Amino acid sequence: MRLGTRKMLDKAFSGLGVVSILLLAAALLVILGPMIVRGSRAFVFHATVEHRRLMLEKFNRGKRSAVEAEIAEAAAARQPVYDMIAAFEQELKGMSVAERRNYRDTFEELKDALRELLGPFPDEKRPLVTREQYGETRWDGAKTKLHRVLNIETYDYGDGTELGTLVLVPRVNDFKGTSLEPLFGYLQKHTCDMLRPRLTFYWRFLFDTSYDAHFFGGIWAEMLGTIYLAIGAMLFAVPFGVISAIYLAEYAGEGRAISLLRSFISTLAGVPSIVFGLFGLAFFINTIGVSSSKSVLAGSLTLALLILPTVIRASEEAIRAVPQTYREAALSLGASRLWTTLTVVLPAALPGILTGIVISMGRAAGETAPIIFTAAVSVGRPLKVWQTLTQPTPALPWNIYNLATEHEAVDEIQHVQYGMVLTLILVVLALNVTAIILRARLSKKLRG
Amino acid sequence: MRTLCIATCALALVMSLCACPSAAYAQEDNTIVVDGSTTVGPIAKAFAEYYMERHPEVNITVSESGSGNGAKSLLNGACDVADMSRFMKESEFKAAADNGIMPVAHVVALDGIAVIVHPSNPVKGLTVEQVRDIYTGKITNWRQVGGPDKDIVVASRDTNSGTYETFETMVMNKQKMAAGTEYYGSNGAVHKKVSNTTTAIGYVGLGFLDRKVKGLEVNGVFPSPETVKSGRYPIARPLFMFTNGYPKMGTHLYAFVTLYLSPEGQEIIETIQFVPVTSYAAGGSATAKKE
Amino acid sequence: MRQPAPHDSSAPLQKKRSLSLSEKASRLKRLASLAVRGLLFVITAMSAIAVLFIVVFILKDALPFFRLRGVAEFFESVRWYPSGDPPEFGALALFVGSGLVTLGAIVVAVPLGVIASLCLSDLLPFTLRQIVKPIIEVLAAIPSVAYGFFALIVFAPLLQDKGGHILSVAAWVVGLPLVATAAFVLSDLAAARLPAAAQRAARAVALIALSALGVWGLMHLAGACTRLEIASGTNALNVSIVLGIMALPTIVSVSEDALQAVGRELREGSYALGATRAETLVKVVIPAARSGIFAAIILGVMRALGETMVVWMASGNAAKIPAPWYNLTKPVRTLTATIAGDMGEAEHVVGAARYHVLFALALCLLIFALIANLASEWIVRRARARLRGR
Repeated sequence: MRLGTRKMLDKAFSGLGVVSILLLAAALLVILGPMIVRGSRAFVFHATVEHRRLMLEKFNRGKRSAVEAEIAEAAAARQPVYDMIAAFEQELKGMSVAERRNYRDTFEELKDALRELLGPFPDEKRPLVTREQYGETRWDGAKTKLHRVLNIETYDYGDGTELGTLVLVPRVNDFKGTSLEPLFGYLQKHTCDMLRPRLTFYWRFLFDTSYDAHFFGGIWAEMLGTIYLAIGAMLFAVPFGVISAIYLAEYAGEGRAISLLRSFISTLAGVPSIVFGLFGLAFFINTIGVSSSKSVLAGSLTLALLILPTVIRASEEAIRAVPQTYREAALSLGASRLWTTLTVVLPAALPGILTGIVISMGRAAGETAPIIFTAAVSVGRPLKVWQTLTQPTPALPWNIYNLATEHEAVDEIQHVQYGMVLTLILVVLALNVTAIILRARLSKKLRG
Repeated sequence: MRTLCIATCALALVMSLCACPSAAYAQEDNTIVVDGSTTVGPIAKAFAEYYMERHPEVNITVSESGSGNGAKSLLNGACDVADMSRFMKESEFKAAADNGIMPVAHVVALDGIAVIVHPSNPVKGLTVEQVRDIYTGKITNWRQVGGPDKDIVVASRDTNSGTYETFETMVMNKQKMAAGTEYYGSNGAVHKKVSNTTTAIGYVGLGFLDRKVKGLEVNGVFPSPETVKSGRYPIARPLFMFTNGYPKMGTHLYAFVTLYLSPEGQEIIETIQFVPVTSYAAGGSATAKKE
Repeated sequence: MRQPAPHDSSAPLQKKRSLSLSEKASRLKRLASLAVRGLLFVITAMSAIAVLFIVVFILKDALPFFRLRGVAEFFESVRWYPSGDPPEFGALALFVGSGLVTLGAIVVAVPLGVIASLCLSDLLPFTLRQIVKPIIEVLAAIPSVAYGFFALIVFAPLLQDKGGHILSVAAWVVGLPLVATAAFVLSDLAAARLPAAAQRAARAVALIALSALGVWGLMHLAGACTRLEIASGTNALNVSIVLGIMALPTIVSVSEDALQAVGRELREGSYALGATRAETLVKVVIPAARSGIFAAIILGVMRALGETMVVWMASGNAAKIPAPWYNLTKPVRTLTATIAGDMGEAEHVVGAARYHVLFALALCLLIFALIANLASEWIVRRARARLRGR
């Protein structure tokens, strides 16, 4: 090959390398981008007066006088709507049966759509299900709901041989000539007055419990559950892991038995996570019976098994990295093996061990398959510490799956889904960043 | 470094203790573990929220892992209430008796299984035989049932599910589904699949019928609480909550499980689109078979 | 003054002869240290025995299935109806499903991963490397349920609505540089045979002809992709791509370690002989590090095979082998998703084939994982021995 071709190939190869790195970065952006953008909408959004009413009634938050004044102003702006509805109902009474039947369905639809937007009508009984007690709490949701009030979505199927196309028919056409006709124009003009949107930073999303299966409120139960599971996994894995690492690094020789143990431990690292879940259910709950049903305890034990190899590996590396001179100095002063390990080697290796522990906690916090059958439920109260021994808990990873697939009103709570995913990613990333900072400090310490 | 660790652990402990300060209480009566069907799940969750609001000392946890798992949990003593959208099988009763558990069924609501398609699909209704043929793979294109010339994407519930079992009994006549059927683990997932895929067909409980999907008329009858009430809709079934024996009167469990009898409970059931038991018409032709 | 006891410097430092005054005390101390050592060994053994426990438990509950239904149906039939009447337990479609998505993940991850690791170890300057490494670590840290969420909520509708277009754009982006490079190289090779005078002209003609051919081929490929109708966004393609992205960090980091371990001498020798950087990397470094890269690939395979949440949420869960087996746009069902999904229904009646078949599936997964783990360890150990022996 000519030199020119070879040089060109070389440049092409470098270009290929750069492209692959760019693809990696693009993949990261494509995956994290929507999470961050849509997830932040759970925290920062335009909240309507309904949201503030919810905060006041359910969480006792906000200045009562100010919120009630706002509610009164909004009610005043809404009154014409309800007046027009009442007037139309009077009109209906005066119509013939056939005419009434004509209006019945579309009027009911209109009233339902209005209830979704503004909440229950002032003269109606307070609904029992929380989601019906309030109108739309988010401005972006309100715009969608207003759209549904103002337009009927129908499909034009043509002759029936093709998929239909979406057609929006303004609802006002159904009510031409009645007293409801000005309603739609009024709604469009005065939506802001009726809902009073205001930019809110709902940081309490992390610490509020959820109402009505995540329709309202925050994700505290899941956060707490994840914290319990991660800490529990650490509590069980760290003693076993660090002690095993000490043995393997300090005391063990290179014999057959030891290499067998080592290969067992690295095999544990390769077991798929769903097998851990099956084992946790079959062993911890059904055989040993650490708890009679799902519980945080069983889930922590299962997660501890999952992260054990990582803890052992990281601790062993950290202990090996401690210079031999430390040990020699201690031994020369007359310390025994154990004493040396406990008072000299371990403290020197501590940053590395901590790094391993923190990364493992991040892994434990993010795992779903081990906790499906051992610890996770969809709905539950935030647990107190002593309840974790016997009770299951909602957890971020499981509830992300639950909300993404099983929930009955997936679109209403889209911001909660993304908020949960964003929170989980941030928690895991925060733990990893902590580990990296620890590692950086470690290398400085040992070198200095 | 050491102080950092101690501080973190202390912070975590303090945070969890601050969660809701209240005195310790007896574990047994004040926790209710509910597990089971994703169809009955919304009812259980709504009841749980309603009840916990009036009794803050009670903790009710709800899982939705499928009717079968609910039964299994009840048999193992792992849950107090098993939501099931089908009746217990003979083998489950036997296993329960062996474990010393006496399952008692409470019919909390009635439900219909709606066959759904994407709203842009022009097909208005199918017969039960056509639905069966679609699910067994005999009909593969919408053209064959009067729709556009597109292949049908068939979505079904996982075998975990009571909805699946009812569908299998009432529509499939126990025939096996086609190999290419996509399985989803919950009503919500099937609903989402159908609402996102223009050529899909699926089946969900009535509570999941909303604007994003279109319910098909089955044998000429549209699925709605009214048609289920009147017994005209052919695929209707009761929804159960099973407990171990009849709950002792006066306990929270008793109050929770009999909530469906109260007017508030019935209002909640109607709000989430199910049919309260008491409004089912006498002599209705479509009583669900047990198995 | 008493002379201290002569210290034998050749004795290993581990000999615990403490400076105590009496024989009895030193014996006690030795017993104590032995006890401590024993305790530590027991705890380590417990950590190691965990994996034996797992194998034993899974085996214990999997064997009854084979006793009930035999082995033939499980491995040969594609009819998976565990709740049917009569039930059928043909898991072949599940094995093929798992294999298909793993294969797809490897096709996505290995070229990208190996080239990225080459880039990281050899091509990038230090500052850029400090920026790129965190990207890889963040990709590795993202929990699997977040990937599953992405696959189901963001990627699946995208594939369904615009899948064909995305694929054709990908075909162009990947194909155009490849076509250009190939045309260049081939025209060069072809023209080399001719006498020097006609070389330049011949090369130009060949270049134009080959690139025209390549572009024409690409256009047809892209056109075919655009016409592709993806009926359902939850399919094997979706899962393969996301699993590939999940396996990438593993492959990149382990390959990079292997490449770093090759050492400067080989590289410098190759440069001294006049090779370009690309030739050094492809012809010298990669073959030297090939066992490490192979181990990395095996680890990536294990990651993709054992992943549950992504496949459960986004693979469609249809127990059917797609019509041409490579048609990734059809839904598939994997072993892991079946275990997670069917675990609920399995009646905990000991002896029910339905309960035990899940453990049989788990057993197969476990055996694959064990074999892959042992293989990668053996490869790494052999490579290390070879290096040490050198």
